[in-house]
Amino acid sequence: MPEYQRAVPPPGVAENRLTMLRFITGRLVLTIPVLFGVSVIVFLLAHLAPGDVTTILAGPFATEAVKEKLRISFGLDQALTIQYAKWLGHILQGDFGASIANRRDVVELVFPKFLNTAILALSSALLAYIIGFFAGIFAAARPHSFSDRIVMSVTLMLGNAPPYWLGLLIVLLFSLSWRLLPATGMTNIMGNGGVWDVFLHLILPMLATAAAPASIVARMVRASMLEVLSQNYIRVARAKGIRRSVILKRHALRNALPPIVTICGLQLGYLLGGVLFVEVIFAWPGIGNQLWQAIQARDIPTIQGATLVIALAFVGVNLAVDVINAYLDPKIRASERAGAS
Amino acid sequence: MRQIKLKRLLGALAIAGSLAFAGGAATDAKAEGGTFVWGMSSEMSILDPHVACGWLTTNAIHSIFEGLVMLDLTDASATTAQLKPAIAKSWTVSDDGTIYTFAIRENVKFHDGTIVDADVVKWNYDRFMDSGAAHAFDQAQAYLGYYTRWIKSVEVVDSMTVRITLNETNYEWLQMGVVACGMPMIVSPTAVAEMGNEQFALTPVGTGPFKFVEREQNIKLVMDRNDDYWGNKAKIERLIFQPLPDQATRLNAIRAGEVSMIMEAPWEELENLKNEGFTVTTNENIPSIWLLFFNFKNPIMQDVRVRKAINMAIDRDAIADGILKGTGRPEMGMLSPGTYAYKPGYAPIKYDPEGAKALLAEAGYPDGLELDFDIYEYGYNEVWEKSIQRDLRKIGINAKLNKIEWITYMGKWLQGMPGELHMNEIGWGWTIPFWTQVMSRCDYHPPNGFNVGWYCNPEVDKLFDEAVKQKDKAKAAALYQQANDIIIGQDFAYAVKFTYKNPLVLSPSVKHFVNPPANWYDFSIIEME
Repeated sequence: MPEYQRAVPPPGVAENRLTMLRFITGRLVLTIPVLFGVSVIVFLLAHLAPGDVTTILAGPFATEAVKEKLRISFGLDQALTIQYAKWLGHILQGDFGASIANRRDVVELVFPKFLNTAILALSSALLAYIIGFFAGIFAAARPHSFSDRIVMSVTLMLGNAPPYWLGLLIVLLFSLSWRLLPATGMTNIMGNGGVWDVFLHLILPMLATAAAPASIVARMVRASMLEVLSQNYIRVARAKGIRRSVILKRHALRNALPPIVTICGLQLGYLLGGVLFVEVIFAWPGIGNQLWQAIQARDIPTIQGATLVIALAFVGVNLAVDVINAYLDPKIRASERAGAS
Repeated sequence: MRQIKLKRLLGALAIAGSLAFAGGAATDAKAEGGTFVWGMSSEMSILDPHVACGWLTTNAIHSIFEGLVMLDLTDASATTAQLKPAIAKSWTVSDDGTIYTFAIRENVKFHDGTIVDADVVKWNYDRFMDSGAAHAFDQAQAYLGYYTRWIKSVEVVDSMTVRITLNETNYEWLQMGVVACGMPMIVSPTAVAEMGNEQFALTPVGTGPFKFVEREQNIKLVMDRNDDYWGNKAKIERLIFQPLPDQATRLNAIRAGEVSMIMEAPWEELENLKNEGFTVTTNENIPSIWLLFFNFKNPIMQDVRVRKAINMAIDRDAIADGILKGTGRPEMGMLSPGTYAYKPGYAPIKYDPEGAKALLAEAGYPDGLELDFDIYEYGYNEVWEKSIQRDLRKIGINAKLNKIEWITYMGKWLQGMPGELHMNEIGWGWTIPFWTQVMSRCDYHPPNGFNVGWYCNPEVDKLFDEAVKQKDKAKAAALYQQANDIIIGQDFAYAVKFTYKNPLVLSPSVKHFVNPPANWYDFSIIEME
């Protein structure tokens, strides 16, 4: 056996698991400085912006003494470093503080809203993946054909349509013209909610949110598949007379997956933070909406809590994508192992 | 096999579609059952009347709470909103106008069952005054300082009578209690004692025609009819305020039948909405004006010719008709409509850009000048401020718009203008002309008031002092108008731009809604078909 092959021996199942574990641990450790950096930036952004929240809290007629008392009660009179250390200490214990604007626990404000965003983002992502995946494979199976061109033109159009505009258009058609689906909110504001009610309210914002990522995924799937399909081993398979569907499924797809998974993960991260426009146009009570209103009210603890949760989700999604990619692509694990030894 | 699967999928989609349609129909059916939903332009503040501010918040506060007196908001044709008895069934005022004796209404119950009597009223005044009482609330004192600074004492005469003595005569004082920032409403002492100040602001308990049910921040505030209300009970069962900050979303919501009323619809859409069967209601007497403050600490602005030239250069018709599509009216005076002192059509000068240019040259600026102008980022004000910027450019003034996010703006505005700034802006008003005093008196310079441009004319203050002592409103109005003639007609201390007619869009199912001469509404009189 040649020397270079012995340096990275083919792994067994147990070793494979160990490598994955090492890989995940490595990635987890890397997220610590990222999160620390995020926390510092989030903290400073909210504190260094001009404007004094006590103006709102104490009312326009307030004396400086009342304002000062309020600043002390919120700890705003202390040095920034002390405020940061205290804030971080509380965050690590799961205490995000109380909202300055409406006196509620930030955890109570931020997490339910994050869950709402997650429902919208995950269902949109799922829809986008399914549509994007099948549209991409469909286009790649018959490259440069009429159907390929149609699929690519539609995705080009939808992928570049601003979500806000697309949202308005969808509401105009489905809610105002055809009266099929509700236009705003997550539940019927006059009713009692329920899963079915949420589902009905979810459809339109989901369509508006899924359009762009579906297009991107479709184009990525097509490109990745075409690249794999031009490889020699596919030619060989074709020459052997294997059916096209079998070639696509068995031979091309798995090799085309890693870049697709990466782009899917990136889209999910983008969706989590970026459904804001869709949340606004559909009055979807998500984290983006909450963050925007907190910024308007100069509600520092809520701004910090919401931003931190979005950042955490982003880091989490990226980690998941890395892990899935490592699982799918032995080359990544191998490089990790080589790096470790 | 594949075809069967596809058929199943299509079948499922068809069922989902038809169910979705049924769901939409059910929504409409529920709306007819007596729920009124208002799509608001932003979220409200907390709901403790003693520490809350803002017109939107006041709508909730006035639905849940009552003060000794309230405004009668049931007459759309009234030029000013009149006081009406509430917790006080009647009151008398001493001859010198300093002693108010209130007879407390019997059998008024809070939503938690607590009975209202004179002690409860006194407890409330102790909460928002510097009383030394254990439950005195310093934030409430700060909010209500403008109202309590006139009060010398609050006494319980007997179990159903309260006497409030003022430091000096002020016939506008009683109505000061129904303006929208820090409101002396009567709150349940039991609820405050049980919950504490923080929690009370989240789950308010009052005596009003609606009681608090639940609030989901940025999603909805739900109130139900108070079936034990002492007066005329509300016609609707449920009242919901839904913050919908996006204009297009509000339009969609009312067109889809998901809300009963929206505010701040795009002006150019109002005609379309009328044609689609919606009711668009406006009021000519909304008590607020939009104005520019000039900085009297700045040497350029100290020259009355510059201030007058700016007043002459602003094309108010272009704003009222061109931008606001008739939902605004040009205005020049510092006395707002909706108050008894308002003088319709007050206009000491005309739009005259040529004259303005000549005046500017006379003041020593033949080549024009540069001015710093602070504007806030909130609502749609930038549209008309840009129009003013264009107007000023025509007379050689280059106005630099410093757009500042609302909270930061308010913080800066309240401190008064720093020397280097030339102008800033606000849109505001009360149902009493005392507001003009708060904006322009010498002793209301920040931090004691809102005279943020540091204008001061002792002659004006003397007229103001006399005005509040007049029992006869006609006499008081005449004094206010004299003061206004000096502030604007002589000193051109501000540039008042327009008043807003507050267009509201109502769904066809809403009956008997009144758009009153105020910035909040009486929801108890509405009926839903």
